[in-house]
Amino acid sequence: MGHASPWLPRGEMGGVLSPLMEGESKKTMIFGKHASAAALAIKAFCLSLALMIAPQAAMAAAPAAVAPVGEVSADAALDAQPAEGAYVRMAPTEGKGMPVPGGLGLQDQYSPLGDYAHWIHDGVLLPIIAVITLLVLFLLLFVMARYNRRANPTASRTSHNTLIEVVWTLVPVLILVGIAVPSIDLLAKQFKPAPAKALTIKATGNQWFWSYSYPDNGEFEITSNMLNIPGEPIINNGVRDVGTDPSDGPSHLEVDNRMVVPVGEPIRLQVTAADVIHSFAVPSLWFKLDGVPGRINEKVLMISEPGVYYGQCSELCGVKHGYMPIAIEALPRDKFNEWVLSQPGGAIDHQPAPAASPAAGADAAAEPAATESPAPAA
Amino acid sequence: MATANIQHRNRRVGFTFLIVALAMLALGFASVPLYRIFCQVTGFGGTTQRVTEAEAATVTASGMTMSIRFDANVERGMPWEFRPLQVTDTVSVGARDMAIFTAKNLSDHPITGMASFNVEPEYVGEYFNKIQCFCFTEQTLQPGQQVRMPVLYYVDPRILDDPDAKDVEQITLSYTFHPLAGANAIALDRTGSGG
Amino acid sequence: MATTAPPESFPAHGDAHDHADHDHKPSFFARWFMSTNHKDIGTLYLIFAICAGIIGGAFSGMMRLELAEPGIQYLDTFTKLFGVANPDFNQTLHTWNVLITAHGLIMVFFMVMPAIIGGFGNWFVPLMIGAPDMAFPRMNNVSFWLTVSGFCSLLMSAFLPGGLGIGSGVGWTVYAPLSTYGSQGPSTDFAIFSLHLAGAASIMGAINFITTIFNMRAPGMTMHKMPLFVWSVLVTAFLLLLALPVLAAAITMLITDRNFGTTFFDPAGGGDPVLYQHLFWFFGHPEVYIMILPGFGIISQIVSTFSKKPVFGYLGMAYAMVAIGVVGFIVWAHHMYTTGLTVNTKMYFTAATMVIAVPTGIKIFSWIATMWGGSLEFKSPLVWAIGFIFLFTVGGVTGVVLANGGVDDVLHDTYYVVAHFHYVLSLGAVTALFAGFYYWFPKMSGRMHSEFLSHVHFWIFFVGVNMIFFPQHFLGLQGMPRRYPDYAEAYAHWNEISSIGYAVMAFSLIVWFVNIIYAFTAGKKAEGNYWGEGATTLEWTLSSPPPYHQFETLPVIEDAGHH
Repeated sequence: MGHASPWLPRGEMGGVLSPLMEGESKKTMIFGKHASAAALAIKAFCLSLALMIAPQAAMAAAPAAVAPVGEVSADAALDAQPAEGAYVRMAPTEGKGMPVPGGLGLQDQYSPLGDYAHWIHDGVLLPIIAVITLLVLFLLLFVMARYNRRANPTASRTSHNTLIEVVWTLVPVLILVGIAVPSIDLLAKQFKPAPAKALTIKATGNQWFWSYSYPDNGEFEITSNMLNIPGEPIINNGVRDVGTDPSDGPSHLEVDNRMVVPVGEPIRLQVTAADVIHSFAVPSLWFKLDGVPGRINEKVLMISEPGVYYGQCSELCGVKHGYMPIAIEALPRDKFNEWVLSQPGGAIDHQPAPAASPAAGADAAAEPAATESPAPAA
Repeated sequence: MATANIQHRNRRVGFTFLIVALAMLALGFASVPLYRIFCQVTGFGGTTQRVTEAEAATVTASGMTMSIRFDANVERGMPWEFRPLQVTDTVSVGARDMAIFTAKNLSDHPITGMASFNVEPEYVGEYFNKIQCFCFTEQTLQPGQQVRMPVLYYVDPRILDDPDAKDVEQITLSYTFHPLAGANAIALDRTGSGG
Repeated sequence: MATTAPPESFPAHGDAHDHADHDHKPSFFARWFMSTNHKDIGTLYLIFAICAGIIGGAFSGMMRLELAEPGIQYLDTFTKLFGVANPDFNQTLHTWNVLITAHGLIMVFFMVMPAIIGGFGNWFVPLMIGAPDMAFPRMNNVSFWLTVSGFCSLLMSAFLPGGLGIGSGVGWTVYAPLSTYGSQGPSTDFAIFSLHLAGAASIMGAINFITTIFNMRAPGMTMHKMPLFVWSVLVTAFLLLLALPVLAAAITMLITDRNFGTTFFDPAGGGDPVLYQHLFWFFGHPEVYIMILPGFGIISQIVSTFSKKPVFGYLGMAYAMVAIGVVGFIVWAHHMYTTGLTVNTKMYFTAATMVIAVPTGIKIFSWIATMWGGSLEFKSPLVWAIGFIFLFTVGGVTGVVLANGGVDDVLHDTYYVVAHFHYVLSLGAVTALFAGFYYWFPKMSGRMHSEFLSHVHFWIFFVGVNMIFFPQHFLGLQGMPRRYPDYAEAYAHWNEISSIGYAVMAFSLIVWFVNIIYAFTAGKKAEGNYWGEGATTLEWTLSSPPPYHQFETLPVIEDAGHH
């Protein structure tokens, strides 16, 4: 392998190859092996509790250990860039559109509604539930200290207080109404339908891969399989190991053919399934929608900035449920058009801008049209 | 005396609640037709409406237009090619329009299929009326046979008065063909063990 | 609450049976296999639940072992345990799905429900309402053995072919079409049939409890004087009665879809897979309250006993449970936010779900208010109960987060959900079970357990389960999907800690077993009321263990005035 990808499985990185399917499971018991990690565990537990006390602070502190490893592959991708006009597979940025090691909070969001929902979680829900939990904890500790047998030998017989019962019924109601306002607003925004001219893509879940069809771009379809995990059995007839190309992202998440989409415009994403129920989920885009056989579901996907965003199937669909990831590559409109034209039968979809002709085959015709076209109003 | 009395009362109460349990069981089974009727009446889940020629004749077209997208799928392992002739179309709301799908049997034996369908956004299901549709009946294709399958439909102008639907610019009508469960499905892999 | 007057002579039984000897017991076989005695059946349920819990817990240990680091390390070995000599990779991965399915089904239907309703419910509902036994003692016996046969059916399914391997790997929710044409072989049929048996057992149990509580209360024991544990079992019995038949119908249709060519949930014949989910969750949501409500009842008894105070806001507590039960039936689709519901449906279920937080909050605050002004004695049951209140609060508030349909889009089917429902069940219901166990064990066995070991058990368990499940919130927020045997490197850290937590928790169970052994070998004999003045319900008026037939002369409950 030419590149030490930062996302190889741990066994590979540490030089400890895991002999997996040959029946030689590791002799060392995992718990024994990690006996020394007990201290770490206690630390983690304290951190867990600390999160409840100071959620924001703890969240900021934890991902600091992430090494800036994305550069290697990014540089390599830059070097390898061929003549302009042709599509080049994008290298992901470390920590963007994917989970971060030891992460405590939600993944960073790269869609407008994701930002809003992220704020609802971190700015509204998390503080409220932290305060409620701490209040209950404080009250428990207080009664334990104040009303134990030594401090209060004679128990009172109080079993009623109408006022306080009304208060602890009404105050939660008010809190819930306070939560419901942004929550309902978020739902309303999430369900605003896409404009008629929005690019439509259909994702179909299969056992155990995704296929993406582009009905507005010449009806071509691409099949997306997970890349092999080095040292592990080949899953889904994978074509190659992850990390053998500089543009590869993390193992378990990277695929051979990504779903490529334009950035900054609403996309009508339709999801269905060909066999059993699957679920199309991308955490950094706040998107999750089940693919149900026999029907389509649709939702608007809007990505704010170019990048590669990873997700995984999120409905139990059989044995390789864990091995059918989703990778979305969001490109500026002109780059997206280049990618479309690189696909067999690919044609540029009808754009809101007047110049975009569906017949445009040449890059020269496509590029100016695309650069002029403003993103449709969301 | 007292024992006999309490046993009698127990039997009566126990029997009453056994009836309740059986009623819930019956409700569980009845939910299948009830759910179907509920969807057909309210358009829940994007279920389209089925109307007769006579009913359709009473509707007048409005000046507003709506974009319609056509989507076609086949269940995995079913050797049919199934696609809309046109991906999108613009129709006037209330006017009837015909959409054509084509289907071809790629296998060397006859296959009967049945289509399931829905529209998105789901809440326009109650306004999407089909007068004729290939999805109302089973379709049998001989080996290599290719057919054109028409759908005659219109969008009910009442959609223009629904505040929930005011942002809808495009409706997607989706079909999925399934091999008919039963005799000829044996040749097809429905175990989901592919890949 | 109610106080007990000296029993008056009251001819409850008439003279239909000869009960000359209080401790007249049948022979061993007749006593334990043909039992009609509610206490013996309760004991059987508890022993059965412990056995099932060990198996279900071992499955979760296998899962945590596999998840301790990325990659597939142990599944191959586990597959061989199920009788596959040389498993291929599909069979190996299938074993994972078998583990998650079996763990879920066992813990829900064969551990928590038998323990909390079958065990404690059978033991203490008749004692607390002053009844000599359950209303239908023979049906009670049938219920128990149906539960056992259901468990056998589930165990058999683990060794039969299903899908691409051995065992049923469709998840405890048994979603169609994965469970129909997506999973051939007899295994899934046996797994589904086990639910039929367990469901029938629970419906019979529900009818039995409802009839017992309605008809067999001692003179003076009005509904509003019943201990809260009895209230909780009553509400639970109604939930069982209304929810389980719907599950029975749904899974019967699954069976016919699988075997007899029907298409209830198959789009090929006009069925809708989403309808299965509606039916399942119409049962499934009340089911989670079925598991936790009796726990609420146990906690109320314990908090009151060790505060030496009556429960604060008794009526509010009782009707909060009724409210939770009622609202529990109209919130089911919050388990289905990503199936493609319309905006109005999602808004409704978001609002309705959040409503449940109100009665739940009333319960939490009422327990604290019960302790307020009390004279707390930190015996083991109270320590467990306080642990319950805190852990259940943590699980409850994450439920409020998940209730929001728009926010759930990112958390649905991730480890956040796993963390949430284990906080309310594994840490909530199970903690309540242990609290109830320490509260009533001497009453049931006649032997005192070690208070010291009980406290040690609590603290190790508390640390262990929090270590398992708190980090799973982080994994879920970072997007790790549930039901995955393998994961990206980024999720390794918290998974490792979670797995270490499992070992800590498992160690605490050893302490528990030692404590039981200690009680039976060296424990001192328990008095009738070994908790003292705070314990006021009727079971404390009896010896420990209670006589084989109790209340032949029914106790009369005096009106204790305004409570």
